[in-house]
Amino acid sequence: MLHNNRNIRLLMSIFLLCPLLLSGCWDAQEIEQRATVLAIGIDEVNMDEDNQKSEGNIAHSVNKFPIPEKDMIRVTAQIAVPGRIPLGPAQGSGGDTTKPVLIVKVVGHTLQDALVNLQQQIAFEVFLGQLRIIVLNEKVAKKGTQRFNDFLRRNPEIRRTASLVVSKESASSYMKLIPELQRIPALYLADMVDNLSALGRFPPSFIGLYWTILSSKGQDPYLPYLTIKDKSSIQLSGLAYFNEDKMAGKTTPLEIGYFMAIKGIAQGGYSVFIKVPDQDEEVLVRAISRKSKIKVSLKDGKPHVDIKIRYESEIEEKGSQNILINDSKIVRKIEKEASKDVSKSLKKLIVKTQKAESDIFGFGEHFRAKFPKYWNKQIETKEKWNKVYKDLTYDIHVESRIHRVGMKAK
Amino acid sequence: MEYPRNITTVQATTILISTIIGVGVLPLPLFAVQGGGTGAPLVTFAGIVLAASGLFILTILGIRHPQKTLISYSEDIVGKWIGRFFSIIVISFFLFLSGLAAREFGEVVVSAVLRETPLEITVIVMLLIACISVRYNINTFAYIHNFYVPAILAPGLIIVALSLKNANPLYLRPIMESNLTSMLKGMLTISALFQGSFIVTMIIPFMKNPRKAKKASFWSIFITGSFYLLIVIATVAVFGPEEIKQIFWPTLELARTTAVPGNILQRLDVIFLAVWVTAVFTTLFSSYYFTIFSIKQLCKLKDHRLLSFFIMPFVFFLAMMPQNILQLYGVIKLVGKAGLLITILYPGLLLMIDIFKSWRKKKRAAQQS
Repeated sequence: MLHNNRNIRLLMSIFLLCPLLLSGCWDAQEIEQRATVLAIGIDEVNMDEDNQKSEGNIAHSVNKFPIPEKDMIRVTAQIAVPGRIPLGPAQGSGGDTTKPVLIVKVVGHTLQDALVNLQQQIAFEVFLGQLRIIVLNEKVAKKGTQRFNDFLRRNPEIRRTASLVVSKESASSYMKLIPELQRIPALYLADMVDNLSALGRFPPSFIGLYWTILSSKGQDPYLPYLTIKDKSSIQLSGLAYFNEDKMAGKTTPLEIGYFMAIKGIAQGGYSVFIKVPDQDEEVLVRAISRKSKIKVSLKDGKPHVDIKIRYESEIEEKGSQNILINDSKIVRKIEKEASKDVSKSLKKLIVKTQKAESDIFGFGEHFRAKFPKYWNKQIETKEKWNKVYKDLTYDIHVESRIHRVGMKAK
Repeated sequence: MEYPRNITTVQATTILISTIIGVGVLPLPLFAVQGGGTGAPLVTFAGIVLAASGLFILTILGIRHPQKTLISYSEDIVGKWIGRFFSIIVISFFLFLSGLAAREFGEVVVSAVLRETPLEITVIVMLLIACISVRYNINTFAYIHNFYVPAILAPGLIIVALSLKNANPLYLRPIMESNLTSMLKGMLTISALFQGSFIVTMIIPFMKNPRKAKKASFWSIFITGSFYLLIVIATVAVFGPEEIKQIFWPTLELARTTAVPGNILQRLDVIFLAVWVTAVFTTLFSSYYFTIFSIKQLCKLKDHRLLSFFIMPFVFFLAMMPQNILQLYGVIKLVGKAGLLITILYPGLLLMIDIFKSWRKKKRAAQQS
């Protein structure tokens, strides 16, 4: 009898435990039931194109609740269609014409407001965990990015490693673009931005880094500046530099190389024509690696920067048969010419950013770190530093070394 | 009362390590930066030194009374009733600590990972696991801690090492930034994160060789101290003090930003959170065990098992008290700082009285002979 009783007890407890153990995850969500947003483009609202009607009193009703004063934005989202994202290489002869992504346009006063409106149009829950890239239109970037940062920081789904880029054309056109190299437009765009830094075309840039630089007091952020070429391909056309959170201007693509030189980013990538002294011909010289040393000092209480850059380069191509690259003397001359050219261009770049009061090089951080007394007394805030940066004096010393000339002897 | 002496010195060390490393890892860099700006590592270091001195006092006290725990020897030192009164304060403090740890755990899980799951469920599940594990004896307690320590330390170190790729050493300078008072406050907050080390008073009577408790204390504070210091240095170097002030859990954010090279894992927060859950569990386990074991001793009960489920509703209630995360951190900082009185000042006083008493005893003995 006693034995029997124990058995019953065991059975009972197993039955009681079953619902507990078999219930599964509270947050369970099927992948097909999710609207996975891969990319977001943010534009200004063009009143003629999409009128107010498309914003249907979702997060607030007209005139009843306080509506943010700021200009409205138009968000274009690229959403992955479940089941149509190809895994691995495309199979068969590409007869598949169904699009792997869905593009949705919404307007809103803020980013989250727009996303709430987006949710209203889509049956599945919007999921931002796979968001790879955010494209900001130049005009929006010029008005300031701080209004988006709050939401992006607060939301735990957003990755810090997502990319943020500035575009010349409307951001929505980047969402609609169909690249030939990869099936999913957003992933192509994101991979392109990620690879830029691996190829030495752009310093590391992702949204977390952008925030870090934006928060620190002695430097201003920078982002890649993209343009669309021939309506179908995307090109990195420069570096957008910011004054605090507002875009202040852009550089040429080559100047990105100079910027990286001052930042001391070793991975070289850019090639430049260097005129051979005493001759009318040019050779193409490519930077392989760079090293930089930044020394800061206070001269009569005024900040002064001393920049030393060392280039390691190679000759990639020469302009005509008239130049003979067959002894180290001519290489030496080219080195000197290259150094002169680079330091001239560096000065140009610094002057340009000084005019915009945008210290993308982070010289201010050096002063904050090394002269805390001076910093606490005279600077303290970012605005003040940017004013001081405008009149910052500097010296540039460039040294180039050409170690390789390729496989050709002449 | 004689206890079975089974715990080795290594086990004692690992118990201390896994007890100290807990929920506090996540907001640690924020606390340090709020205290000292770029001087965060210095603040952390000062906090560690303060915590180490507290642990040292407790260890010496324990070695002087190798047969007893704090609850019983405090009665010997300051008298039965005063001792009991303070013991009740100590117990209720650890009850609070358990509740707050469980709540902080739930708060992180709800806002970062499982957003649909109610807060109550995560907290209850964690408390239940602690309750069930507490029912075993102190040997199982030691084994559990010993088992988890490598799993807690290794991933943390890996994340720190990988994240240094994005580091900017300029963010760590100048070493002294803000004013002294805020640095001192930061130091107190940081050393409050080490309060789990109080558990040493409970372990010493069970150690094979209580004299070696000093060694265990030293190594545990050395290992956890350097672990915490490394995390602070890495997070400040990667994010900079200004950015850290903007986020609740900089360490979690560090794991989210760090990628294993070669596109194996694009973000490490999954691994980190898995580890962190174990770390929270071991901490909660310890403080809960301490609470229950001390109640048992105070009331001179024979067994502590029954208490484990009896106390749980109280802990749960305490965990649910703060309205939101901001209030929670306010309470945590306050309780932590007040707790320093209990975990450092009170043992310090006990030690002084104890030394004075034994000195008097010796003098008397000398007079009589």
